[in-house]
Amino acid sequence: MKDKEAYSNAVKCLPNPGLGLGLRSKHFNYIIEHEPAVDWFEVISENFMDSGGRPRHVLRQVAEKYPVVMHGVSLSIGSTDPLNLEYLSKLKMLAAEVKPLWISDHLCWTGVNSLNTHDLLPVVLNEESLKHICSRINQVQDFLERPVVFENPSTYLTFKQSTIAEWDFLRYMTEETGCGLLLDVNNVYVSGFNNDFDPVHYINQLPHDSIVQMHIAGHQHCGDYIIDTHDRKVVNDVWKLFTLAWQLTGSVATLLEWDSNIPEFEEYHAELLKAKQFMSSIGSGEYITEHGEQFEAAVSNPVDFLVNNVLIN
Amino acid sequence: MGGDDFSLVELQNWMQGMLVKYVPVTNSRGGEAVTVEDLVNSSKRLNAIRHLDIYRHSYIARLRACMQNQFSALTYALGADLFEAFADQFLDTYPSESYTLNTLGEKFATFLEETRPDKELNEKETWPDFMIELAGFEYALSVIFDEPAEEHRPIATEETPDGNLRLAPVFHLFKHQYPVCKYYLDFSQQQEPELPFPEESYCVVTRRNYKLGLFTIRAAQYYFLLRMQQGKSVELAKQDLISGFKFKADDVDAIWPQWKKNFITSGFFDAV
Repeated sequence: MKDKEAYSNAVKCLPNPGLGLGLRSKHFNYIIEHEPAVDWFEVISENFMDSGGRPRHVLRQVAEKYPVVMHGVSLSIGSTDPLNLEYLSKLKMLAAEVKPLWISDHLCWTGVNSLNTHDLLPVVLNEESLKHICSRINQVQDFLERPVVFENPSTYLTFKQSTIAEWDFLRYMTEETGCGLLLDVNNVYVSGFNNDFDPVHYINQLPHDSIVQMHIAGHQHCGDYIIDTHDRKVVNDVWKLFTLAWQLTGSVATLLEWDSNIPEFEEYHAELLKAKQFMSSIGSGEYITEHGEQFEAAVSNPVDFLVNNVLIN
Repeated sequence: MGGDDFSLVELQNWMQGMLVKYVPVTNSRGGEAVTVEDLVNSSKRLNAIRHLDIYRHSYIARLRACMQNQFSALTYALGADLFEAFADQFLDTYPSESYTLNTLGEKFATFLEETRPDKELNEKETWPDFMIELAGFEYALSVIFDEPAEEHRPIATEETPDGNLRLAPVFHLFKHQYPVCKYYLDFSQQQEPELPFPEESYCVVTRRNYKLGLFTIRAAQYYFLLRMQQGKSVELAKQDLISGFKFKADDVDAIWPQWKKNFITSGFFDAV
């Protein structure tokens, strides 16, 4: 077992590759043919770990030309089920092939009793679950022989048994295991609105030197609550939080998530590059404001992109 | 009784039960079922039940959408409402046990067979047979699309000697009671096909350059290619065709150049 200090030091040495995009099947041909000037790509581990066909073939080509980060949705670090060693083995094999800058997943659980809800379910934030999760992070990091980076998920409820604020919970995780953090700025905004906390306070309280990556994304405002849909442009308030986080972290790798109603590649890339306008406190970028009349119902679908579209000649 | 003394295990079992089955769970010491309000906080805008409902509604909507994506032709054939009813019942009976959504529909054809509406009747309707075959075919396509294979072997030409012909690394034969492959191709080309009548059909699914090729073939061709798939050479497969179909050897020799040309054009063969 490696010392948590070793993992913590490894996290602090991770590079900042710049502004990245998610690798989505809709853009496979464009990326291979045009080799666009994107700093790096984030790939959903589960989309590629079992693939012996086109997705894996494309990933190999992308990984030869761009830095890649592996982002997972099925580790289920918070579950009370045993860790899935088959899944971890495949994750390790994919990492050996792709050589990602780092591997990330979410602070969540996806199911128990061998079932999978394919959702990023909220963890109860108390001493019992902190001890449980830290123990599992240690096991995963030792198995993968590298630190793992954990993202704050969008949440739609909090438990009465929770006794620790989420930002403190994340801090304790890094202190106890040496893991890294992926700060999803949009998720902070969504969870803050849904669960009555101040997103600025949340970001201020995080251990900024453990943050190795940020996510930005669009969401659907439904009036009484917000759903993290990843299906549209980033809104004004999230860009403001990004500016704050950019300053507090001293600049880290940043990725725009867009997983539903995915636009053409150029539009997706252009939205990412807006981040450059929001890296200073002045924030001269163009803002999108949420209006009440735009409220619609929406479905939380964090794994919308996990089914292959069969290509037929 | 509240949920203050729920352990982590009990809390996760409770929440999953509420999402997947919506069955209230009692704590390990029995007593009254805990309420949502016992475990979940209300917020300024939503009460505890509405907070949980966001997860509950998303669970079924998300997986239903995934099923529709994986079985797009079947959704068209059944109609969206009926497909949704079958999918919801399927997800209730066979909730996902995999870390990947690619296998979500693995048991769907089996489920449709188990729950066919005429199961108890002596006289069976025919349309369920078609739907079951179509479900199995669509799932098979998703598996073939991603199966590991050596993709860049030399493709045969018409000049390749018969003895050097071998089947492509991704090559699958299907036999159906209905024209399932034709229906699927028509659907894929937005031709809005009608439900077909029973008609035995045969097809080949290959993969070249990571794209699938779907080809309808005749019974004799299926028989011939099946023999090759079982490891026989072209010559031995032709002999089996002559004995199996009572064909004349001269007729088989006469038709073979055309078959060979079509099979090679369709990418069925590699060259050793």
